[in-house]
Amino acid sequence: MRVVIAEDAALLREGLTRLLEDRGHAICAAVPDGDALLAAVAEHRPDVAVVDIRMPPTHSDEGLRAALKLRHDFPRTGVLVFSQYIETSYSAQLLEGGAAGVGYLLKDRVANVAEFTAALQRVADGGTALDPEVVSQLFRASRQRGGLVTLTPRERQVLALMAEGRSNAGIAAELVVSGGAVEKHVASIFTKLGLPPDESDNRRVLAVLRYLGGKPQLQDGR
Amino acid sequence: MEEEFRRVAGIVFGAPLTRRTHRELLYCLTGGLAGVAGFVVTVVLLTSGFTVSASVIGTVVGLLLLTVALRVSRRLGSLHRRLSSRLLGQQVEAPPRFQPGTGVLGRLDRRLRDRAAWRGVWYSLIKLPVAGVQLYAITLTVFGLIDITYPVDWLLFRNHPGGTSLSPLVAVVPLPFIGSLSISSWPATYLAALAGALCVVIAAWLARGISTADHALVRGLLGPSTMAERVSELERTRTLAVEDSAAALRRVERDLHDGAQMRLAALAMNLGMAREKLDDDDATVRELIDAAHRNAVDALADLRDLARGIHPPVLDNGLASALDSLAASSAIPASVTASIGQRPAPAIETIAYFCAAELIANATKHSFANQITINISTERAGVLRLDVSDDGIGGADVTRGSGLSGLVQRVSTVDGRVDVSSPSGGPTVVTVVLPMKA
Repeated sequence: MRVVIAEDAALLREGLTRLLEDRGHAICAAVPDGDALLAAVAEHRPDVAVVDIRMPPTHSDEGLRAALKLRHDFPRTGVLVFSQYIETSYSAQLLEGGAAGVGYLLKDRVANVAEFTAALQRVADGGTALDPEVVSQLFRASRQRGGLVTLTPRERQVLALMAEGRSNAGIAAELVVSGGAVEKHVASIFTKLGLPPDESDNRRVLAVLRYLGGKPQLQDGR
Repeated sequence: MEEEFRRVAGIVFGAPLTRRTHRELLYCLTGGLAGVAGFVVTVVLLTSGFTVSASVIGTVVGLLLLTVALRVSRRLGSLHRRLSSRLLGQQVEAPPRFQPGTGVLGRLDRRLRDRAAWRGVWYSLIKLPVAGVQLYAITLTVFGLIDITYPVDWLLFRNHPGGTSLSPLVAVVPLPFIGSLSISSWPATYLAALAGALCVVIAAWLARGISTADHALVRGLLGPSTMAERVSELERTRTLAVEDSAAALRRVERDLHDGAQMRLAALAMNLGMAREKLDDDDATVRELIDAAHRNAVDALADLRDLARGIHPPVLDNGLASALDSLAASSAIPASVTASIGQRPAPAIETIAYFCAAELIANATKHSFANQITINISTERAGVLRLDVSDDGIGGADVTRGSGLSGLVQRVSTVDGRVDVSSPSGGPTVVTVVLPMKA
């Protein structure tokens, strides 16, 4: 993968660079703010950009705004936003233009190197990587509406992993079951929830998210 | 009866010998002189200021003179308060400090409307007659003391052989009796001494009276003023306190984010990398690193919850955004409508946010509702209104349950209001009204 990193804390920026280079990926640029990120992406056209949400100058959501602009201007570059917090309104904004090449993870996830790089690879390949935290928030809301009652516990696990953006193979590896078993679960879930069966991972993620209510309507006044 | 008379006489005639009287006389002297000087300076500055500013060209100079007069008035006020507390032992609190405005006109405006300074001007004007009495008391004392020395003076300087003709001595009795007592023989000097002693006694009591009156003036005109002004001062400082604490919490959260959280994330990342590189045969080391890694990740999660409780960072993007996130993580489906024009002060946003969080948590715990509706608006001028309603069983009570009463307390720190309508059987509607500024 060719990667651009935007992170204002030097310690994390260098750590990430090392982590990814260690795994044989090329870091085109590692920059400390949103403007530099846009410039670096325009210059290097990387496969994926890792973007911290809080960066100078205001330390609120510059990273998110830069990420949205990247999504619009460079649709072929995947964007993995990572942050100390999961804000559902942020994930809604990120997913507004579709689930292809989007990721939103807690910073904690870099601690699990293998999973983090797998998620990054997924985003670089045009897939989706949503933090389990995002998914569990959606589940909570959905469960309250009674939407998930008919699913077995195993099916719920599979649904959660689907919502995170994992492929059938990824789900099989995570749950330590065969690919065939996963396919069976997935088919069952789609039937029970009345979702259209779909081969493409992205559209599958979108369908699941929409079912879970993961794209709350944005209100006026902001 | 006789004893009583003696006691009173002792107090009356002994007064000049007490420390208190000495201090009061010193106060009369310093305060009187300062009063006269202050009166002159104030009158000169004010009259010239007003006269000059009456002409078009002189307005600037005139206004400048007025501001100087008001500055001087504050200085004089603090001088008089100090004298009063040092010499009379009566502490008078200073009025609120002057709050300079911004920009030339702002500064001028604040200065000209500085009520403490204008009250000081009144004091300077009223002080003149007071200072007159004070200085009179001083003169009376000095003359009295001179008169008391006459019998001794006579023996020292007038003890001439008999038959020498001398002009009579005139006892210096201050106004309005100057010269009314001439002395031409030694025994008569005792009369002068007696008159002198009487002067000293009268001066002592005069000093006491005028000091008391002056102190009342100092307290009335140079102290913190009327209740209304005091209240507005308290409101101002309370606003500062509320805003300051909100800003401090924000800073703490920012410091956590840029400091401990960032370092812990880096630590967890490094431990993760170390774990990857470890050979499988180092079972013990692997276990240790696994444990350290888990601890780092757990600490990161704990710290995140803590920081979020201190100040949710999403609040920096505005209330609507923050409430959206809050609603999204609610266990009961919650919808948010927001119409926010101008952004309220950060402290108010924080209060509104935590109110909404508390109300959602309350609804989740007690209401058995299917739907929560959150509405926030600034449609009414100067007011932020938050409505949180649910279709649950109702019966929420402000007096019971610490959640709601804590909320009422929090809101009341900025003069906000909480209305709860929650009939048994529902629905529950809680309305929080907050000012736009703390």
